[in-house]
Amino acid sequence: MRSRLMSLRTACIAGAAALVLSTAAACSGGSGSASSSPSVQTSNSNIAAAAPKAGGSLTVLEGKGYTGDWPLGLDPATNTTGDADQDYYNSVYGQLFELGDGGKLIDDLATGYTYSNGNKTVTITLRPNVDFSDGTPLTAAVVAWNWTRDLESPCTCAPSWTVARVNPKVTTSAPAAGVIKVVNATTIQVNLTTPDGAFINQMFDSIPNWIASEVSFKKMGEAAFAKLPVGAGPFIMVSDSYSNEIVMKKNPAYWDKPLPYLDNLTFKSVSGDEAAYEAMLSGEGQVYTDMSTPQLLTESAQHFQVLDQLGTSPYDLQLNTASAPFNSTQAREAIYAMTNFTPILKNIFDDAYPVVQGFTGPGGICYDPTVAGYQGYDPTLAKKLVAESGLNKVTINLGTISSSPVASETTEALAQEWSAFGVKVSLHVYPLNGLIQAFTVNSGKSWQAMIQTAGAYDPAGGVGVGFRFDSTSPFSGVHDPKLDSILAAAAASSSLSVRCPLYNQAAEYIAKNYYGPFYFSFAPANVSVKGVAGPGLTTPLPAVAVTPAVLWEDVYDNPSSS
Amino acid sequence: MALAQQVQLHREPGARGDLARRVTGSPALQLVGRRLLTAIPVLLGVTFLTFVVMNLIPGNPAQLILGINASPGAIAKLDTQLGLNHPFWDRYWLWLDGLLHGNLGTAYSNQQSVNSDIAQFLPTTCYLLLYALVVSLGLGVIVAVLSARRPNGIVDRIGLAISMLGLSVAPYALALVLIYVFSVRLGWFPTISNSLGSNPLTAIRALTLPAASIGFPLFAVYTRLLRADIVEQMQREDYIVTAKAKGVGPWKVLVKHATRNSLFTLITLVALNLGTLIGAVAIIEPIFSLPGIGAELITAIGDNDLPLIEGIVVVFALVTVAGNLLADLLYTVLDPRIRYGRAAS
Repeated sequence: MRSRLMSLRTACIAGAAALVLSTAAACSGGSGSASSSPSVQTSNSNIAAAAPKAGGSLTVLEGKGYTGDWPLGLDPATNTTGDADQDYYNSVYGQLFELGDGGKLIDDLATGYTYSNGNKTVTITLRPNVDFSDGTPLTAAVVAWNWTRDLESPCTCAPSWTVARVNPKVTTSAPAAGVIKVVNATTIQVNLTTPDGAFINQMFDSIPNWIASEVSFKKMGEAAFAKLPVGAGPFIMVSDSYSNEIVMKKNPAYWDKPLPYLDNLTFKSVSGDEAAYEAMLSGEGQVYTDMSTPQLLTESAQHFQVLDQLGTSPYDLQLNTASAPFNSTQAREAIYAMTNFTPILKNIFDDAYPVVQGFTGPGGICYDPTVAGYQGYDPTLAKKLVAESGLNKVTINLGTISSSPVASETTEALAQEWSAFGVKVSLHVYPLNGLIQAFTVNSGKSWQAMIQTAGAYDPAGGVGVGFRFDSTSPFSGVHDPKLDSILAAAAASSSLSVRCPLYNQAAEYIAKNYYGPFYFSFAPANVSVKGVAGPGLTTPLPAVAVTPAVLWEDVYDNPSSS
Repeated sequence: MALAQQVQLHREPGARGDLARRVTGSPALQLVGRRLLTAIPVLLGVTFLTFVVMNLIPGNPAQLILGINASPGAIAKLDTQLGLNHPFWDRYWLWLDGLLHGNLGTAYSNQQSVNSDIAQFLPTTCYLLLYALVVSLGLGVIVAVLSARRPNGIVDRIGLAISMLGLSVAPYALALVLIYVFSVRLGWFPTISNSLGSNPLTAIRALTLPAASIGFPLFAVYTRLLRADIVEQMQREDYIVTAKAKGVGPWKVLVKHATRNSLFTLITLVALNLGTLIGAVAIIEPIFSLPGIGAELITAIGDNDLPLIEGIVVVFALVTVAGNLLADLLYTVLDPRIRYGRAAS
């Protein structure tokens, strides 16, 4: 008995010692490699890639709260999550047009387009002999069926095309006859009621760009189709556990052979940047899209490829001109004068993003970082304006969205900076739903200031400038008919030589009226293991709105090159 | 006696009546019945409070479903479809009516039945909790007994050190340390486990670190409490002296007499800790990307998804009530003299 007890005691001590030793060994190994380099390049604008190689599998990690959530499945007509889920949609449906390197328009399922009738008619030519993965052909009639369904969708993802409706008073009413016209098997036409020269640019990350198989939809029913959709994209759905895991495999009938390179593509939702980083370190994921935590970007650069993307959505401090204190021009000007973003960008974000004064970013069209007449940091003027406007006698409610560490760190830094001028700030961090409520409650008159992104690849598209500055948007603090008309005129033309000066004029108008200062053009980085390459992972792509769409059919894994 | 004859005997009217009387008169069944009855006001209270709190939180579910650009008209239409335009009491009553018919409603965020959502996510959480409980209890009892064998001995001191570590660390902090050591550095276990798979070994591997994160602090509590109770029994109770005087071996006295008596305290603690366990899964599951009901609850709260939150709260409340009922029944197993519902003789 005693000897058994002795053995037990020895075993326990040995076990405890082994635990402590393994922990110590593991920790010492980590700190050694983690601190070996005092100066680290956090990211790259371009990464050398090996030659393409067919085959292999990749696991892509997506962060919860944005890209890692697809609660309603992948039916384009119910896509309420906007550009967050474009990785999955693009992989299974492909796109009519893709946004490529340097803003290049890439023909995918469509091969061309023309504007006519004063930019009120858009004619799109489809790629011939393309089949869905169920074997049925992708024709203009199928595209028309998709677009009709999109326009009738009650989802706010419905296209914002200005079209005649059967019942003009009902926004979800069917489009009137002739709005969507099938010219022939590979040609389709859309007839608008107002000119829209940005129609094609607005297609990116918009549901009309994703074409579903009509036959499979009708056969499977809406719910089953949303779970395992059928498209003509590079990959086929194998399984989908909503907001958790999607497994796809190569579409053998893909039109652009030998693409896609990968045999299997799996998307996994993870709780955030930290979890993704650790999962990649332990080899459970090869790609993480949209990393934005500054410290983790530095850490990641020691082990992986970290690619900066080209931002198109600058952060903007929205000021609500509909209510006090920012219905006062002087109060708004004070905000411009007391905000010095240079130290914030340097000390918190390691100068990772370019400073801008308007709503365009380096990845988008009409990019111009400077705006004539923009009021910069001026502490003397700020003190005077704060005192005169009475900003030091109120507490400013400054809000932002909870899913972005960049946004929340920015609000905290601004609050600190403004406190030097005697301005008190109450910070509010909202989940998406709470943010929407904060914008819309009391007819939009309750909120005072919000840190948000304002802009898109094309300012006329998606969460573009109008989303934050147009009178008709519920998420705008500006209600100025003159600004509305400038933005409408800019969107109507298809010529950049006409549009860009108008956007410059709009940016100057915003600056002149102190409607909201801009800070920096943000785009999260994509992280991948060495050997993985492709557009969006080793060469930067412009963000459609906030995040770029990786072209997964062109992505390959060549471990021998790492 | 042949089986057929036994069955025949049981089918006789007299025997059947006797059996029925024995069943209805069973103290254990009476206890179950009473506990289930008391669970009704508990469930009503919990669900009502949740309903009130979720109604006070800003955010419109219709807006959530339709997206950021929803027009007021579309939101109003969906409000009507979802019954959100009804007064508070009507909505609560409708939900209760559904609950009584086994229908927990439709989740706002994914438009799926809450029943099917829970059926999908509950198994992972059950496996995780079971794993954490079994391991923490098993190890807790072993370490406590070994520690109590020689108070202040080497095993007791090591046990104390490990327990203090477990008592001092929060599960989420422990989870990060475990991930770093056992996943990132040593590669023994996965960091993320979006699915458990069909292979039991894969599932055990996936659940080990989450279960350790939840179970280690529990193990520490169980060990300290049980060890203290056993030591007290061994030093102060007359029946221990009697057993020793009768020549019963020291291990038998420790395990069969003292530990068995001390298990009452442990069972009570485990039952009381069930609520804490459920809270822990809500934190731990998202860290490991486990598709469980705890992670689903956190997402549902973020989405203001009232039907899903209510459904999960009902499940948690039922588990807590069932756990406490099981604890009451285990008392009678440990000490057959305990008879609920009867006056002490």
